[in-house]
Amino acid sequence: MAKQAGNKITTSSTAEYFSKNLQQVGFSSQTKAVLTTLKEAVDNALDACEENGILPEVHVVVEKAGAGSIKNSDQIRIRVEDNGPGIDADDVPKVFGEYLASSKFGRGRCSRGQQGIGISAATTWAQLTSATGARVITKTKTMRKALSCVVEVDIKNNRGVLKDRETIDWERPTGTSVEFLVDGRIQLNGEAGLLNYLNGTALVNPHLKLTYKLPEIEAHTIDRVSETVPAIPEATEPHPHTMKLGEFIAHSHLFGKVKAAAWLKKGFSRIHEGVINDLIKGGIKKGVLEKSVDALNEAEFKDLFVGLQNQKLMAPSTKSVLWIGEEALSKSIKRLGAVDFFSVVSRKPTICDFKPVQIEVAIARLEDKSIEAESAAQVLRFANRVPLQFDKSACAIVQAIQSVNWRSYGLVQPKDSLPQGPYIMAVSVVSPFIKFKNASKETIDASDELVAEIRLALIQAGQRLSKHIRKEVKASELEEKIRHIEQFGPILVNGICRIVNAPDARKKKAEEGLLKLLGRDAKATEAELEEAHAVLEAQQKKGLPAEADAIDTDELLKEVAGEAPARKGKDGKPKKGKNSKKTAVAEVNA
Amino acid sequence: MATPSSEQTIPKLSKELCSRLLSDLERAKRPVLYATKCSLDNAIYNHKVGYLTPGSKKVATELNVSSVKKMSRAIFMLEILLRNLDTGAVNTKRELYYISKGYIKHDSSMKPLDFADQGESDEIIDFICEMLECYREEVNCYANDRGGQTYSQQLVVTETLPDGDKAVVDLSKLGTSPFQPKNRPQNLKLSARKKIDFCVIVESEGTANTLVANGFTKRHSCILMGAGGVPSNAVRGWCKLIQDQLRVPLYFFGDLDAYTLQNIYRTLKAGSAASLIRNSDYSAPDVKFLGVLPEDIKKYDLNDYPVKENDAQEVRALKKASDALKNDPFFQDKRNKGLAQILKWLLENKRRCEQQAYFTVDPRDVTMPEKIIVEKIKRGNYV
Repeated sequence: MAKQAGNKITTSSTAEYFSKNLQQVGFSSQTKAVLTTLKEAVDNALDACEENGILPEVHVVVEKAGAGSIKNSDQIRIRVEDNGPGIDADDVPKVFGEYLASSKFGRGRCSRGQQGIGISAATTWAQLTSATGARVITKTKTMRKALSCVVEVDIKNNRGVLKDRETIDWERPTGTSVEFLVDGRIQLNGEAGLLNYLNGTALVNPHLKLTYKLPEIEAHTIDRVSETVPAIPEATEPHPHTMKLGEFIAHSHLFGKVKAAAWLKKGFSRIHEGVINDLIKGGIKKGVLEKSVDALNEAEFKDLFVGLQNQKLMAPSTKSVLWIGEEALSKSIKRLGAVDFFSVVSRKPTICDFKPVQIEVAIARLEDKSIEAESAAQVLRFANRVPLQFDKSACAIVQAIQSVNWRSYGLVQPKDSLPQGPYIMAVSVVSPFIKFKNASKETIDASDELVAEIRLALIQAGQRLSKHIRKEVKASELEEKIRHIEQFGPILVNGICRIVNAPDARKKKAEEGLLKLLGRDAKATEAELEEAHAVLEAQQKKGLPAEADAIDTDELLKEVAGEAPARKGKDGKPKKGKNSKKTAVAEVNA
Repeated sequence: MATPSSEQTIPKLSKELCSRLLSDLERAKRPVLYATKCSLDNAIYNHKVGYLTPGSKKVATELNVSSVKKMSRAIFMLEILLRNLDTGAVNTKRELYYISKGYIKHDSSMKPLDFADQGESDEIIDFICEMLECYREEVNCYANDRGGQTYSQQLVVTETLPDGDKAVVDLSKLGTSPFQPKNRPQNLKLSARKKIDFCVIVESEGTANTLVANGFTKRHSCILMGAGGVPSNAVRGWCKLIQDQLRVPLYFFGDLDAYTLQNIYRTLKAGSAASLIRNSDYSAPDVKFLGVLPEDIKKYDLNDYPVKENDAQEVRALKKASDALKNDPFFQDKRNKGLAQILKWLLENKRRCEQQAYFTVDPRDVTMPEKIIVEKIKRGNYV
């Protein structure tokens, strides 16, 4: 097509692109803007602490600072302070003011942040709505005084700019504090609320001590329940089946002048001498593999790529995923509020859609009786330990929850819907390569394999939960029985006596006899109830979560196949499987 | 088992039952009630007896926390029934449901017994009958008199009324109106003004009516009855009465399908598994199956149809037929081989033919079905 005169083609910077498209990265509404800003700051704080083996202590303040410049908005101050390693002065503008400047991009690690977009987008939002960038105070081990400055984004050049730079005294030995002034509105409660985000973050980060001060509620501290910083597994080399041709070629540029065969073996996981030989058998010329990678032409790259795609390779390693663990999760879930009972499940890491992934599930029933019985259970979704709060219905997690038949575990569930009642269902998906539906990381793509894996975890958790629910049912049965005896005993005896014209003395004696008889029944139920209670307590004492008991894998498989589980034996007691196996947690820890 | 003295035996049995309950309770011993098991696996068929009789299996109901409500309700309902027997009052199940509601309304201490719907109170009435091994008519609980419209120019029925008076009904004086038998035909006495040659029981009351309108009963010295589908207790007892008191041959004329054969004809002839304890009074073992027979289809060129896949009732009946051939003592008995063969034919051919198909034989002759029926009787063309 002929170039039209006067229409100059220009290129724009990444910063320019995002500044015009902030809705793509979580700034699509006023309430969302506040949440996203907070989220990005907290994610960065946690990532920084974990990378350096520091137990995170995060302090959050969100408050109204006045009226906003946008119609119907408030000016909100969001401050997040951590005890992390601090940021070198040279890196401060990159971290807060430059897009795609990340230490984590594409490394194949389970960190919260991946690309280096979020926090710069928050700075841009602050700049666009309040005409001021991010106020940063930071101090590293080597700094005697802390650096205080304002970071702004140079939108034209995608660069961070420092302003008002000064050194100050700061009581923290190391750490970072970042403060944004943004236009927006505060939503505290509900699924997209700040409280939901903070509680969720606390749940999946048992090692986090979180203090927060939000408007209209008192300052609150959530103490840590685990003293171990999760060891972030080392990144693994990419697996050729997870790449596209362009990525494959780009990957070669990192290696310079090495032979193609050596590049394949060194630069990818699951490629070894055998695979190279198979490639040759498959028609790749030996000469191509002997050539230096920087000398390969596009056709040769394509041949290699296609050759590899046709090879049957081992699935990627699951070593790179990071899990919370059942023990930590079961301690953490109690931080959500008064909990009646709960069950947690950590699945073994596995491969879904050719990517390592691990699913953890925690289900708790809250004591809070003010929650209506018909309201849907609260779902907390996590991807790499970051709460997901929007676009629930399309998410793999929600689809998996809806696909489980919760009725067989004693929960109320309308057809194809979330179960109902005062329950919290937390599902965490951890993977170095989570497939999100959009850049603002709100929804996990619902692939069949992933949904099936989440479903398995949920079913296990459901089985464990049902033990508690059954105990409750037994208790209510006992109550019912006692009520029965009191109600019907006298009526029955009176009726019989009227028919046979029995004197009062016989009537009295029969009443006593009946109470004795039915009392025996009630005692038997009471004994059963106590037994169930004792089993649960014994398990709790063992130190493992109360639910980490035998799971009948046969039963699990049956349930997955869609069969109704054989819930009870003839005597109404929970059925014990013949081939009970140890739980996932035991296997994983071993 | 039903005798005219059931007004005396039921109260006696009830009192015995309650005395046993009471003395068990006084000793803090768990009372157990036994009821006859009314199901096919407890049914015995002996061709000399002619109907299904109960075997030795019993259902035990033990008094415990879960059965105390049912027991209390049963005693409560039994009191109502005994009162009815005492005064001679009769009720339907639905009326009894409302009567129980009335008692509960006036005595709040009875509130826990309250029935949520009629299904619950029906279940209790059935339970009482099983415990006392009697049928509902014996505790003055009647169903609507359904089916059994009877026509005859010869039959005379004498009914003994509760007050001892006698009512005489001469069926020849009723014109085109049928005689409707009672649910408890034991109070009726039958006689014939002239020798009656046979009795035909037609499955469809409508077809029976047509046959009469076309002069069937005028031309033949007979009794003609419409069963009205699955025979009610009234029809079953009425057939038994005709068989026993008049000693005339009985023929059943109905559709050729698995449902008719098992649910209608078998019930009429030998009773049902659900009513094991009352089959002795509610079955007429002499009744023969006149048709439609499988060979009639060819012989008279009758229109028949394949069993429809979506006809749930017929498909179920066929499934039941294959079970019946294996388990039902009635169809397994050598004497009923002919009937079992019809069932086999139905299973193999999956076809059905309706009784009204006889009207296709000669559409201009309204008496053609009558002629075929009479001819079949004369030639012994029945099973």
